[in-house]
Amino acid sequence: MRLLIARCSVDYDGRLTAHLPEATRLLMVKADGCVAIHADGGAYKPLNWMNAPNTLVCTDEEWVVTNPKGERLTIHLHEVLSDSSHDLGVDPGLQKDGVEAHLQVLLAGNPSAIAEGLTLVRREFPTDIGPVDLLCRDAEGQAVAVEIKRRGEIDGVEQLTRYLERMERDPALRGVRGVFVAQVVKPQARVLAESRGIDWVEVDYDGLRGLESDELRLF
Amino acid sequence: MKFRCERDILVEALGTAGRAATTRPALPVLSGLRLSLEGDRLEVTGSDLDLTISTTVEVAGAEDGVAVLPAKLVGDIVRNLEPGAVELDTSGERPRISAGRSEFFLNAIPADEYPLPSEPQGETVVLGAEHLADGLRQVVGAASTDESRQILTGVLMAAEADGLRLVSTDSYRLAFRDLPGNAALEQGQHVLVPSRALQELARALGDASEVRLTLAEQMASFEVGPLRLVTRLIKGDFPDYEKLIPSDMPNCLTVERQTLQDAIRRVRLMARENSPIRLSMGPDGLELRAITQDVGEAVEELDAKYDGEPLTVAFNPDYLMNGLEVSPGEEVSLETRDAQRPAVLRSTGSTDFLYLLMPVRVG
Repeated sequence: MRLLIARCSVDYDGRLTAHLPEATRLLMVKADGCVAIHADGGAYKPLNWMNAPNTLVCTDEEWVVTNPKGERLTIHLHEVLSDSSHDLGVDPGLQKDGVEAHLQVLLAGNPSAIAEGLTLVRREFPTDIGPVDLLCRDAEGQAVAVEIKRRGEIDGVEQLTRYLERMERDPALRGVRGVFVAQVVKPQARVLAESRGIDWVEVDYDGLRGLESDELRLF
Repeated sequence: MKFRCERDILVEALGTAGRAATTRPALPVLSGLRLSLEGDRLEVTGSDLDLTISTTVEVAGAEDGVAVLPAKLVGDIVRNLEPGAVELDTSGERPRISAGRSEFFLNAIPADEYPLPSEPQGETVVLGAEHLADGLRQVVGAASTDESRQILTGVLMAAEADGLRLVSTDSYRLAFRDLPGNAALEQGQHVLVPSRALQELARALGDASEVRLTLAEQMASFEVGPLRLVTRLIKGDFPDYEKLIPSDMPNCLTVERQTLQDAIRRVRLMARENSPIRLSMGPDGLELRAITQDVGEAVEELDAKYDGEPLTVAFNPDYLMNGLEVSPGEEVSLETRDAQRPAVLRSTGSTDFLYLLMPVRVG
């Protein structure tokens, strides 16, 4: 990432023409070639930019960025105040609050929250149509396939049904039963699960995380 | 199916049934409304499987039949037609809606795929609509909307010695209303009805004089005039609410309800970003105060009668306001023990209604 703070003016020539008069701005050149010109305000949107792929030709007086569509961004550098480059490495990506993934981790560590006597065999147990979230054994040694969703709806039950059908073909797992786990299991999903002999369990995510709210509650 | 009907009558029927239809249906067919015509009787049904609303209207029927039409679209079309008679004809290749010089042709949804709920089989009891409407207005708002605690999204209907009790809570507040004389349930019986269904029921009650209630193990149906509402019941144990209601509270503030509401409405303008409103109670009366960092502060003093030790308690202004809005009578009392335990809001002279409210912790 190259960061240049400079007094500059900018001309864009492409689908239209645009001109940014002389002012102090931040110019960013990202590792993939994207060039962005930012003012000292606004949230994330640059004043002007050109996505990769493009060609950047830098001289002391100006930067010229062109792309295959024939668009051209000319940055006239009047005074460079700062010029630095940093290797940011590979970005790990945006980490959303992965409730579903985190539920799997929490329940893998505490399978008895699903049913008393359950022990974990492995997470992400592979079947030939995809991995089932948890493979466990109950107190009698019976295999138990657990599918975990944030919201338990019919499609989740269908998914678990498919896994169970594949797992039943494995002699080591024969007799496997299914448990459908979610923070909330919708009534239709409960009916479908029960009609297929699949147990369903609702779990308290915050409780599993051991979170205690600072809020005062009645119970 | 073919019929003619006044636009406004059809708009209302489509709107009523359409409130149960959903834009994110479990089955695609449930994005539609089922229209069924027998003679001059048109039944319009919307459902999301949890809640089904049907209503019937009189129309000029020409040809019996059943059709399922996209709920939102058909509602929008009929609503925007010129006032007067609307004709709906599904006998052609595509259902046709016409009025005056306007014509719309829709793509129908296969009607045989529409899942009509089974009717709850059981004894039907008749409830007085006026008091029920009043009770629902008072308790439904305190139910939770957080589906991760589904039990709390319901309203408990429980048999009491001489009537019916309605209770709801979202864990921050609890609303409780007794309806004496409305013996809808058998002694000891209780059911948990989704608040969404009761909200629709309250809306339908209007000027009705009675409601017919039929309960089955997992379902309940409410009939009000031409409207029938069938809802799934919520399974599970409702919190032991009776244990939550404190007795012998040492402090009691008595104040005019409307005066307090008006003052809160003003002061809460400064209670932004989830800031609470502080009630300072003492021998001089009541002071309301709201402070939001970087925004400002509001203070207002009110005449009030107070028995107890001087105390400042903070509440969520919306929850406090909701409690006042649904309290009957001109005067309310707010009973407190301290700043961290539940307060009880009651109407002076009424024992049928109670609103329990948890304070907010402030620094």
